[in-house]
Amino acid sequence: MAYVRLRDVSVEFPVYNVGSRSLKKLLLNTTALGNIAKDAHDRITVQALSGISLDLDHGDRLALIGVNGAGKSTLLKVLAGIYEPTRGRVHASGRVSALLTASVGLNPDATGRENIVMRGMFMDVHPREMRARVEEVAAFTELGHYLDMPVRTYSAGMLIRLCFAVATAIPPEILLMDEWLAAGDELFLAKARGRMEHLITGSSIMVLASHSLPLLKEWCNRAIMLEGGRVVAAGSVEEVAALYQRGGQG
Amino acid sequence: MPDTAPSEPIDRLLPLAPGRARLARRDLAEGLRRSWMWWALALQDIRLRYRGSALGPLWLTISTLVMVVAMGFIYARLFQTDTRSYMPYLTVGLIVWQLISTLITDGCQTFTASEAVIQQVPIPFSIHAYRVVCRNFIIFAHSLVLVPIGLAALRIPVGWRAIEAVAGGAVIAVNGVWIAILLGMFSARFRDIPPIVASFVQVAFFVTPVFWPIEALGEYRGIAEYNPLFAAIDVIRAPLLGQATAATSWPVLLAATVVGCAVSFALFARFRSRIAYWV
Repeated sequence: MAYVRLRDVSVEFPVYNVGSRSLKKLLLNTTALGNIAKDAHDRITVQALSGISLDLDHGDRLALIGVNGAGKSTLLKVLAGIYEPTRGRVHASGRVSALLTASVGLNPDATGRENIVMRGMFMDVHPREMRARVEEVAAFTELGHYLDMPVRTYSAGMLIRLCFAVATAIPPEILLMDEWLAAGDELFLAKARGRMEHLITGSSIMVLASHSLPLLKEWCNRAIMLEGGRVVAAGSVEEVAALYQRGGQG
Repeated sequence: MPDTAPSEPIDRLLPLAPGRARLARRDLAEGLRRSWMWWALALQDIRLRYRGSALGPLWLTISTLVMVVAMGFIYARLFQTDTRSYMPYLTVGLIVWQLISTLITDGCQTFTASEAVIQQVPIPFSIHAYRVVCRNFIIFAHSLVLVPIGLAALRIPVGWRAIEAVAGGAVIAVNGVWIAILLGMFSARFRDIPPIVASFVQVAFFVTPVFWPIEALGEYRGIAEYNPLFAAIDVIRAPLLGQATAATSWPVLLAATVVGCAVSFALFARFRSRIAYWV
């Protein structure tokens, strides 16, 4: 059974400016006494998440609500196991699939088909097994012969089709989604919706970050609201959404 | 307050946070276990790099061949040795040097080149390092075909010593992994590392006995004997040419391996969790 436990999780994000990215400058500064503290550590630390505790169990459909920069994407990356928190503990079990951005680690020089196989690999599916599924994924994208062309020749809409199909090819137990689907064309969106519903019902845990409250209300059964990296509200989607809207107006 | 009051005691659900060293060991072992993954990624890299070229990685073999022939005649005169013994020495030296130098320069890109993947999917970081090593060994294998051809053409017998060269290759692979992890991390954090490393490698090519005989140093041959880059070349080159390796080569190479692995592991354990933030 899939589950996720976060205990007092904090993420501090170092933002390196040009200077602190250079070893030469670091060394020069160490020799030029006096500037060490100021320049060698001339980096801004962003507190992206602080003290988040969260329990997710089978059947949970969590909505992440919050303004831009509230920490929604960072939290998704922590849940996906991409970012290890700087403090706190994460314990999770279950196959995770994260649909975080539209590029999903596609290789621009490889063809659509190759990317399908490659993405499968990153999800721990052997290429042999994945090749058997390629046709199914290819059919879903409706990209036809474009699938034999390098991905860098694709339009934005085509990329989204491919990414979505590829990322959802293997049903995950824990599904994490950031809002990015909106860029697809109407026809594809309707199709994606069908697949998404199928995927959501198939997954054990789902976390969706979005600004679209109707979408969240439709698909989620729990919600938390983030503000400045902290959980400021939690409860049913209606309650939290109402709170969010009030905050937006006031 | 968030409704996160746990229904079960937390301690039962959360095992004590594993130490950094254990996480790093697990990362390395998990990566190794998924050999099919980095093998497939390495093949894919090569396929993409040489897409649209009829000869593929064999281009590199041809450029090595051209270099060997051009340099062979001239430098054999310069060093006043006969071409027949200098040519194989130069060929194997250059081929092994290409392996070592690309392991080092490519190692700088271990994590930055895989940024898109690291930011999207959680897979062991070591996989990126294994991929770099695997990719460069596949390219090395392409150049290596020149060796049996050359040896046969010059009628140099290949003896049992050649097995020693295989062992040398294996040790170089281990070194490749720590180099890829160490330089990969440094380069992710400090973006001016790759050009620094590239110029270091260029200098190293001239001060290491790759294309000139170590005997030319006379009483100063110690400078080269304690150079781990020479040791790495020697353990492959000497056995292939039916000669004994220099007495210092294996000890120097193994010492470099142990020290390199230890330093690299310590830093990997310490900073592994930061790589995703750096790239």
